[in-house]
Amino acid sequence: MTTTLAGGRAARRQTMRRIRPRRSPATLLLLAVWAGAVGVLWLWWHNTPSIADQNGKILNAGRITGLLAGYLMALVVLQMARVPALERRVGSDRVARWHAMSGRYTLCLVFAHVFLIMWGYALQAGKTLSDIVQQTIDSVNQLPDMGKAAIGTGLFLLIGLSSIGGIRRRLPYDLWYHVHLLTYAAVFFTFWHQITTGNDFALTPIAKTVWYGLYGTVTALVVWYRILTPIRLNMRHRMRVEAVIEETPGIVSVLIGGRKLHRMGAEAGQFFRWRFLAPGMRFSSHPYSLSAAPRPNMLRITVKAIGDHSARLRELRPGMKVWAEGPYGALTSQRRTRGKVLLVAGGVGITPMRALFETLPGAAGDITLLYRANTTQDLALWDELAKIADERGARLMYAVNSPDGERPDISADSLRRKLPDIDNHDVFMCGPPGFAQSVYEALRGAGVPARRIHHESFEM
Amino acid sequence: MKKSHPIRRVLLASAATVSGIVLLLSLKPATDSNSASAQGAAAQETAAAQESPQGGAAAAGTSTITGAATQTEYGVVQVRLTVAGGKITKAEAVQAPKGGTSDQKTALSVPKLNQEVVATQSADITSVSGATYTSGGYKKSLQSAIDKMKAAGANTAAPSQSSAAAAPAAQAKTVTGEVVSTEYGPVQVRITVAGGKITKADAVQAPSGGTSDQKTALAIPKLNQEAVAAGNANIDSVSGASYTSGGYKKSLQSALDKAGG
Repeated sequence: MTTTLAGGRAARRQTMRRIRPRRSPATLLLLAVWAGAVGVLWLWWHNTPSIADQNGKILNAGRITGLLAGYLMALVVLQMARVPALERRVGSDRVARWHAMSGRYTLCLVFAHVFLIMWGYALQAGKTLSDIVQQTIDSVNQLPDMGKAAIGTGLFLLIGLSSIGGIRRRLPYDLWYHVHLLTYAAVFFTFWHQITTGNDFALTPIAKTVWYGLYGTVTALVVWYRILTPIRLNMRHRMRVEAVIEETPGIVSVLIGGRKLHRMGAEAGQFFRWRFLAPGMRFSSHPYSLSAAPRPNMLRITVKAIGDHSARLRELRPGMKVWAEGPYGALTSQRRTRGKVLLVAGGVGITPMRALFETLPGAAGDITLLYRANTTQDLALWDELAKIADERGARLMYAVNSPDGERPDISADSLRRKLPDIDNHDVFMCGPPGFAQSVYEALRGAGVPARRIHHESFEM
Repeated sequence: MKKSHPIRRVLLASAATVSGIVLLLSLKPATDSNSASAQGAAAQETAAAQESPQGGAAAAGTSTITGAATQTEYGVVQVRLTVAGGKITKAEAVQAPKGGTSDQKTALSVPKLNQEVVATQSADITSVSGATYTSGGYKKSLQSAIDKMKAAGANTAAPSQSSAAAAPAAQAKTVTGEVVSTEYGPVQVRITVAGGKITKADAVQAPSGGTSDQKTALAIPKLNQEAVAAGNANIDSVSGASYTSGGYKKSLQSALDKAGG
């Protein structure tokens, strides 16, 4: 007993030495974004000595919204440039939520800008608000680059409409995605009128340089990380489907072989965006988590048939080529701050948890996995989980509905009963939104601080 | 994983943005130190307007031609050319947008445009970027001035050309009305009368500074036209500029009285 305890202590010290939590750069990035916004507002302030009347106020409100929209537009694109610092350290899910939020906000600014400027011009020309359409047509015809700007704004309108919740749910994912790619064209078209007609860029040449720098940097990052990096990755690793295995009804694992796969730098808990070069599938790529730690010649994903794409995975045949982009995701051991870890999986959310369960360093009893599913038949990968638990001395618990369909009790009390020292754990969680929300609340109730609950969620 | 409240977030973002912009706009003064120079420009402009008919009559072979006042989104642009020996020796803007950023834009663009005109001797000049509307208005006014210049050149007769009226010198008479002060500043009207008719009306003085600049730019050209069209002081006020219109009418009446008497 004493020896095991001592061994446990030594092993735990060993573990702790390997825990190097890295702080997410999110706070710093957000500060930089705000500082940039203040700079943009200062540019306007500096170039506007006075505002004579109501009409001037409308025009200047249009200028402010325009400048802010131009600034945020670059950042909205940057958020989707797959920059590793954002994808792996802030977390793809969080960046995607930022993108959705700031994208909506920026589009609102764009439309407010168009309306206010055209209204202001109409008033200045001695016309009224009702002439705004004619004024817009005149301005598009007369001012430089306004034709392009009009095309870009039209595209933005299309992209905005296709992303409204109700409409987006009715559109096939691929259609929505390809409409969304038009954002690049829209940003390109609307860029030029900012430089040629923008008051502040005409008056402050340095602002023009900064603006070119901002958009140039974003363009370079997009080209590098969205185009060149994936090409290099796939040229080097040449991945192919090795086998497709049915785990439980509706859940399949796909084994992917390739060259030197351990050199991709993927960690347990991360995901790739996969594009299977099979008929009917080559035009869409989807994010699926690795369900096992990457091995030199093999990666594995495990997918539940929810949408069209995931349902078709079972039709994959060995030898089919695979195009992958990644690795992305921040739900890795880097988030860990404590020796003890609780992993919580809901349904197919087991995939990244399974990989972490296998690889997170820890002594016997340090790692616990709680697996929630509807029935015991739905507990995919159960056999290998049991084997890992056995080998590592880790704890494995499951919670399924009772035979009469009643949901299992996952509450603050039940969690504390199972793990009396739960407040000293790091918690990694992956599962459907409703499940994640209720577990989150139970964990907080059981005394786990929010900063130690690590969660990835792709709902918008 | 904080609970998200989408509607609350949308309301907060909109409220914060709108109030932020309103705050910024309200912190800006209605006039600033530049308005002094704007008024200075206005004074120069009236001085120039006064001088122009005489200047036209004075030096032999040299004439000044004033183009039509062109309304742009930012205010009125009016170009005056000095022509000697059939060549444009000087171009200047009698009127140009002012107030707010327009001051800077005018300062930026008008000198360039003036130079270009003298260099190219035509209305085919390039717009100054960042001052597109002003450039556009300038070109139109310039074109009209050049048209007049060519017409005068064809007639060869008239050595002096003044702005709107191809003044048949003999009977033409310029009468300046009394200065009428309004709530926003003094208004003074000058009319050119030929053959008992008003051939031209303009304001030697008009309210300037702050919103008055725009109101003046809006109202005075209309009032001038109306005065010529009506031939008397019974003209309609320009809505939104009723004080200026009232002062204009009074001064116009006094000028008509003088011309008649």
